[in-house]
Amino acid sequence: MKTYTQLPGDAGSNIIGQVNDQHTRLKKRLSFIEHTVAIMSGKGGVGKSAITANVANALTQMGCSVGIVDADINGPTIAKMMGVRNATLEYTASGVIPATDSLGTKIISMDLLLSDDDSPVMWNAHSQKDAFTWRSTMEVSALREFIADTQWGELDYLLLDLPPGSERLPNVIELIPDLGGVVIITIPSDVSHLIVKKSVTMTRDILKVPIIGVVENMAYYICQHCGESEQLFASEQTPDNPFQSTTIGKIPFDPKLSHCSDSGTPYVNIYPDTDTSKSLIQVAKKIQSFFKT
Amino acid sequence: MKFLCIECDSAMKFKDVTRPEQGSITAVFECPECFTEIAMFLNPSETQMLKSLDLKLGGNNETAQPMQMIRSQLETGKQNIISNMQAETETGETQEGGKCPFTSVISDAFEENTTTEPDGLQWTSEALERLERIPSFVRPMAKMGIESFAKDNGHTEITGEVMDAARGNFPTEF
Repeated sequence: MKTYTQLPGDAGSNIIGQVNDQHTRLKKRLSFIEHTVAIMSGKGGVGKSAITANVANALTQMGCSVGIVDADINGPTIAKMMGVRNATLEYTASGVIPATDSLGTKIISMDLLLSDDDSPVMWNAHSQKDAFTWRSTMEVSALREFIADTQWGELDYLLLDLPPGSERLPNVIELIPDLGGVVIITIPSDVSHLIVKKSVTMTRDILKVPIIGVVENMAYYICQHCGESEQLFASEQTPDNPFQSTTIGKIPFDPKLSHCSDSGTPYVNIYPDTDTSKSLIQVAKKIQSFFKT
Repeated sequence: MKFLCIECDSAMKFKDVTRPEQGSITAVFECPECFTEIAMFLNPSETQMLKSLDLKLGGNNETAQPMQMIRSQLETGKQNIISNMQAETETGETQEGGKCPFTSVISDAFEENTTTEPDGLQWTSEALERLERIPSFVRPMAKMGIESFAKDNGHTEITGEVMDAARGNFPTEF
């Protein structure tokens, strides 16, 4: 009796061929993109999306062509922060035309595909009860389509705003084996450092992806009245920054940054001369110089 | 996944696939020599996994449409998306697109077949309670099997007694 390896093909489904076709489409799209950068943090609520939005626009202001993939499929916020939530996507044979903000940064996000504000991401299934067995696969397929099927054109930078946690990064590496680098976001607290250290290990030691640098968000607070700089997370023992040598930016806590995110205009567009903007622009410059060296 | 016709020692070939019934699809394979057919049932989780990967049993000869998996599978998706499927590609050539992308991209193989739902079958609350006790990953298969048993035996209502009678056909307790 013949064995598995002696039977040619897979009975006519050509599953390998179908997967190869998907990867060919992805590879072709990526060939027009110079650098891919994942923005991630093990910890939630540290400002990944706000930093992604502002660094993207800082790069655009520096003359680069930039796109953002909102890779947070279930908690998409980039479209709101970039002020493109009302954009209507156009589908053409050669891809989906992404939303574009006032400076020309291109954006694709699940938020642009959901029917209304209250709608969660619900996938068509006979039953949602066992969704844990397939939902993650569905999300990775969605991410693949975001990258492969969006008409990015030629880009200098494609930024991927990842969801909290480090479990999505291996999926990204599978989709983009030549991922240019990772920017890791943290805040100055022991709790954040504890989690972010795991992200660093995962990125550097396990996945062997270059870390462009660590950005410390909410690093300090500038008093609105006296202009003095204070520790926002001040405690009896201020935590040492274990990422000192790899830190590429310290972003102060600035209430206006949050207001800008809510109103859909990246902060660097409105307040280009503040310390906060200077820090964000410095991160953009560090990313640029990382790829130049 | 491959299938061998033991008698002919020959690889079986894909022949047909049905639309999902209660989340489960059936693929038919045939021996090219003796024409013996076999049916492979994919349970709802396996069917869903195939959908999640945007893969089709029996091959896919259609041109891929942009974001076809998302648009066909996102239940809470927006409907007012502009489609212009005849467009310039990034390399400048014009490509002919399909019809309305919302209808063209949805794989027929994954559209639920609603015509073969067990007509008029009612579950009593006791039976539903027992159904809920079946482990979730086999529950859809068990439900389908009980309904099929009930239909084949002329029952219009699924009661505890019908479940007891059907139980012999299942490896799991309920």
